[in-house]
Amino acid sequence: MGAVLTIAWRDIKANFASPKGSAIFFLFLLLMGLFFYNFLNTFVEMTQKAPMYGGEAPTLEQLLKALFYNLHFILILVIPALTMSTFSEERRNQTIRLLQVSPITPTQIVFGKFLAVVGVLALVLVCSAVYPLFIKAYGNPDVAVILTSYAGVFLLMCAQLAFGLWVSSMTTNQFMAFLFTMFGLFLLLVLNWIAPSISSTGGWWAGTLKYLASTDHLDMFLKGVLTVSDTVYFLCFGALFLFFTNVVLDSQRWR
Amino acid sequence: MIEVSGLSKRYGAVQALNNVSFSVGKGQIVGFLGANGAGKTTTMDIMCGCIGADAGTATIAGYDITEQPLEVKRRLGYLPDVAPLHPEMRIEEFVTYAGRLHKIPGTELQRRVSETLEKLSLGAVRRRLIGNLSKGYRQRVALAQAIVHNPDVLVLDEPTEGLDPNQIVQIRELIRSLAGHHTIILSSHILSEVQNTCDHLIIVHNGTVVQTGSYEDLTRAMKSGRTYRLKVARNGAAAVSDLADLAAAEHPRLVDAAEHELEFSLASGIDEAVLDNVARRMIDGGFGLRELAVKTKSLEEVFFQLTQ
Repeated sequence: MGAVLTIAWRDIKANFASPKGSAIFFLFLLLMGLFFYNFLNTFVEMTQKAPMYGGEAPTLEQLLKALFYNLHFILILVIPALTMSTFSEERRNQTIRLLQVSPITPTQIVFGKFLAVVGVLALVLVCSAVYPLFIKAYGNPDVAVILTSYAGVFLLMCAQLAFGLWVSSMTTNQFMAFLFTMFGLFLLLVLNWIAPSISSTGGWWAGTLKYLASTDHLDMFLKGVLTVSDTVYFLCFGALFLFFTNVVLDSQRWR
Repeated sequence: MIEVSGLSKRYGAVQALNNVSFSVGKGQIVGFLGANGAGKTTTMDIMCGCIGADAGTATIAGYDITEQPLEVKRRLGYLPDVAPLHPEMRIEEFVTYAGRLHKIPGTELQRRVSETLEKLSLGAVRRRLIGNLSKGYRQRVALAQAIVHNPDVLVLDEPTEGLDPNQIVQIRELIRSLAGHHTIILSSHILSEVQNTCDHLIIVHNGTVVQTGSYEDLTRAMKSGRTYRLKVARNGAAAVSDLADLAAAEHPRLVDAAEHELEFSLASGIDEAVLDNVARRMIDGGFGLRELAVKTKSLEEVFFQLTQ
């Protein structure tokens, strides 16, 4: 555990020693702020107009759901930016040698790197709480929904980070790592939309594709429902790609 | 301390190593010599567990690198050819990080780091960023990373590569000062470096070990035998033809006509008593003997001969 924390702490510090960490903070919070401003305007507008047209006014939960749902898009940009350098940069600069000749296992290296990127994004997530807190200050939203939404986004983020680490471990080119991670995450996001067109007859094939898509699994969290199956989906997804990363790293010893 | 046997490694169509075997005793400083691309870095990478071999084993301090990599790495310090440094870290912070990775207990860590920095004359600059350091300092920081956990075995891949002459002398002295406490294997293609630093040499060429032994062993083993330098007072050119009559003295030639300096060699197996005859001929022939000495072969000559 000591080695894992040592690696994670160095990586977190390195992220903030370069402009990268700050840029990720800035990008994430700025985009989330833009979404928040936009949705809030629409929310206020619809609340005012609803009595005129005799419809129902939108709820604060719907506003929150729209906000958290769109975090998915922000993560597609931010996660590749964060994970692209984890292994590829170390391999290109040969600093990976330092880890390779230390008495630590590849698994410890993978967990250390993973913990570092999770740590950076967890910090960003904590700061992003300013928007839900804003709603809480002026309205009366269901706090439990905010908490489950955060739990969902956190799990989604961990799974995506594991995927990004795996891509980064396979190339020494950061740009390629960025591109492939973004493409992979985008594919997972849109999988449930394109699943019907891949398999027009439906059946198990379309069902499997739909299950693999990350969007559906986040939905329940955003509704305030914690389900075992969705939690297991994210955990398995993350564990699988961490395992793949471990295999890539371990294979370098005998390749 | 280091036992390498039958290492082979292939990169696609290129056979990088072919049945490389050697051993290094405890406390020795061994030079691993070869031209660029001879297989030095590949051998060292395999010994340190960074890459795998297609065949063969490497054992360090009794532990096999593939079977018990963690046990080996506990006893090993490695300075790769590209210094593995994080430019955004400070020197002390980096060496502490390396110490933590090598699992130095917390109570001992601070002391070990300070000792290492002092040993490498980095104490005064310990707070400086690695990214702002000169190449010589960077190399020292990389060396600090390799010795902070006081390893039994030190593997140094071209430690003086790219340094200026002053820095080369400093690093060389440093390496010598580490002798005794550590078993050191250092690779280089700069011959004078290993000649001055190492007790024992291993010469590799095209992925195979072509010669091992001390510098004296290697020069003695060379096929052409010993070469002698002869200086006479006058008439050097005539002295050459006079020497040519003496069957035991092979290939006499005039090296410097103005200085009347000659060179000749004795075939292996010929007794040195022949030198008496050479001296007598020079004196009797009226050339005036001024100097007769063994011309030691430079390591360059040995190296070229072995790797041609």
